[in-house]
Amino acid sequence: MARWPVSADRPAYRPGSADELAALVRDAHDSRTPLRIAGRGGWLAAGGPVRTDAARLDVALLAGIVEYVPGDLTLTARAGTTLAELDAATARHGQWCPLLPFGDDDATLGAVFATASAGPFTRSLGAPRDLALGLEFVDGTGRVARGGGRVVKNVAGFDLTRLLVGSWGTLGVITEVTVRLRARPRVDETWALALDPADAAASRALDALDALERGPLAPLAIARLSERACAALALPHDRRVLARLGGNASFVAAARAALRALGDAERSDAAIWSRVRALGGDDPAPSPRNALADPVSQRIKRLSDPGHILNPGILGEPLS
Amino acid sequence: MSPLVEHLRDIVGARHVLERPTELLVYESDALPGYRKRPRLAVFPGTREEVIAVVRALHREGLPFVARGAGTGLSGGALADDIVLLGLQRLRRIIEINPVERFAVVEPGVVNATLSKAAEPYGLHYAPDPSSQSACTIGGNVAENAGGPHCLKYGVTLNHVLGATVVLADGTVQPLATPRPPERGYDLLGAFVGSEGCFGIALDVTVRLTPNPEGVRTMLADFPSVDGAARATSAIIAAGIVPAALELMDAGTIEAVEASIYAAGYPVDAAAVLLVEVDGAEAGLDEDAREVERLCTEAGARRVRVAHDDAERARLWQGRKKAFGAMGRLAPNLAVQDAVVPRTRLAPILAAIAEIGARHRVRICNVFHAGDGNLHPNIPYDAADPDEDARVHAAMGEIMELCIAEGGSITGEHGVGLDKLHHMERLFTGDSLDAMCRLRDAFDPGRRANPGKVVPAHRCREWLAAAGADDRGAVARER
Repeated sequence: MARWPVSADRPAYRPGSADELAALVRDAHDSRTPLRIAGRGGWLAAGGPVRTDAARLDVALLAGIVEYVPGDLTLTARAGTTLAELDAATARHGQWCPLLPFGDDDATLGAVFATASAGPFTRSLGAPRDLALGLEFVDGTGRVARGGGRVVKNVAGFDLTRLLVGSWGTLGVITEVTVRLRARPRVDETWALALDPADAAASRALDALDALERGPLAPLAIARLSERACAALALPHDRRVLARLGGNASFVAAARAALRALGDAERSDAAIWSRVRALGGDDPAPSPRNALADPVSQRIKRLSDPGHILNPGILGEPLS
Repeated sequence: MSPLVEHLRDIVGARHVLERPTELLVYESDALPGYRKRPRLAVFPGTREEVIAVVRALHREGLPFVARGAGTGLSGGALADDIVLLGLQRLRRIIEINPVERFAVVEPGVVNATLSKAAEPYGLHYAPDPSSQSACTIGGNVAENAGGPHCLKYGVTLNHVLGATVVLADGTVQPLATPRPPERGYDLLGAFVGSEGCFGIALDVTVRLTPNPEGVRTMLADFPSVDGAARATSAIIAAGIVPAALELMDAGTIEAVEASIYAAGYPVDAAAVLLVEVDGAEAGLDEDAREVERLCTEAGARRVRVAHDDAERARLWQGRKKAFGAMGRLAPNLAVQDAVVPRTRLAPILAAIAEIGARHRVRICNVFHAGDGNLHPNIPYDAADPDEDARVHAAMGEIMELCIAEGGSITGEHGVGLDKLHHMERLFTGDSLDAMCRLRDAFDPGRRANPGKVVPAHRCREWLAAAGADDRGAVARER
């Protein structure tokens, strides 16, 4: 599946600790060896102009939860920890790691933050940039740095965390992240609505759905599905809208009433959202535009990765 | 400097360039008493074109500068030590309010509360609400990544800024945004918010406007012990309730507020009160309010009072928002802290702070964003008394050490500025501080925007190397 042409004769590194990873990057910097950084490899297809001589640097072994105090609603884990592992650990305490991006739950924490991946819950639960409280990374010279911290509010120092989130591994290899958690809603209901966007008669109901999403009774997520997606989810072809309601019992009762006023609604299972997310994760659009065209971005890149060895070309920047 | 002064007068008009010490007096400090630095001169452009022209003039001369909004900061961040102060409070135009897409575009000098007032007819407001909101500006809020009581639920400034156009110290004008997938690129906007004036000057800022909540319940819970209030806070957070605000005030603060013109009717015999607000859809509110009440009672609250109307609610909030001002009546100086600690550790940390205060014989008034774990253990004192001054500084140092040791941060919303510069090395490694220096260098390679703040200059390796080669370098100037 990997369109990224990491050739078979190039080495793949799998460091077992942040120190080992830092030493590898330092060596790569000294020898000017380009590195292709990977978690579980889910984003390897997310190309752009590439170099065939890149060695794969695999972060998957840097896994596990470092600190989790449920009462603080914060969790620190190594970058290779999968979303499935985080979900299992937090579910035991009635909590949620609100990173529910498009794609599957084999995705790693590091990759979700490095790519700033969004999902159907981003609107209500926050994007990766809103959920990262702090992180540790290895820059392009092999030095280990940390931004932010483990508390929920923090303005100490310049914001290396926001800088690294969404930088696609081009400024440093993320090795650890502290993430803000949420309590799972006390009442959590998913409904499939008989609303068809192609149906002219439904347009008023669809407008009302938009208004619901922007109003005080906003669902946790609304998914507007294509016919193909409906089929893939084994939903009747006319049930083209999924809504997930979360909150206390009185809130959900009111939201449910508002939702049912829009059309025929049928209860569905919360598990369907994993499949909705997996459907959306198909085809990461490559980025042909040079994202490093402005002087500030260029200087940030040069000062963080002077050898231009980290994921070269993935931001559409020229390779020479 | 004289030809430059002439030039600046040509740009902004003679009466908007101040040079005389008497005129500059008001710009010698911010809202944190204890630091005084006199600017060489102060210049107040009135339009974005004038800001750009002033920055370019300073760039040509290689002169450093400090941008300043309303001067309400609490970190000494907006002080200019014998360099140019660039005041932005004349840029107070609200350029656009878009009620459909729910955003506003404003100039940096627009006052926080003025923006919310302008959005009110549309049923919207600007959510971050620092206690100084009646005076502080959006530009300053962006520079500091300002917080406020309602940031517990709604997020801090970072979460409400959608874009900005900035002029860098070299006079380049650059739009900043957060790339939206599938678009890629660096989150320059995220890096800029909270950069304390060291990365450039915002010419305009696009902010999110938030719908006013359908309903609000404001409660005051009254505790016979600080420990009980802290435990109630931890219990509410752990229960998964996200109040709009959850503020703690202890007896010292209650006494200061009730003795001032801001008296809010807080119980003067309480060891602590919690001000808890839940808001949102009317439908779920009473259920959440009852749960908060139950958790407070379980933690030992004597009484939980619910505000009956807007007037009572406003009064309860006024006491909280004006608490720093009320403390100002107690003594000529006020030491302010802004550490953040894990919320499960509030009770033991507050007990330890009380012990530190008693040992150093200083009066600590706690008033803080308990729901975020963002402490403000403030100490009113008289700096003219050298013995008291020494005891206050010893106590403040110990409190900061304690918060760092508990896994906390040195500042949650006030910024590092000058005041917390010396704590940065306790919190971050040399490599981390150096990475911050490099980020600053990417925005301002000439190192002229707000020099000497946030990261200790001797922690920037390349700066040191440059200073070795060229003794006119920034490091020499900063020391």
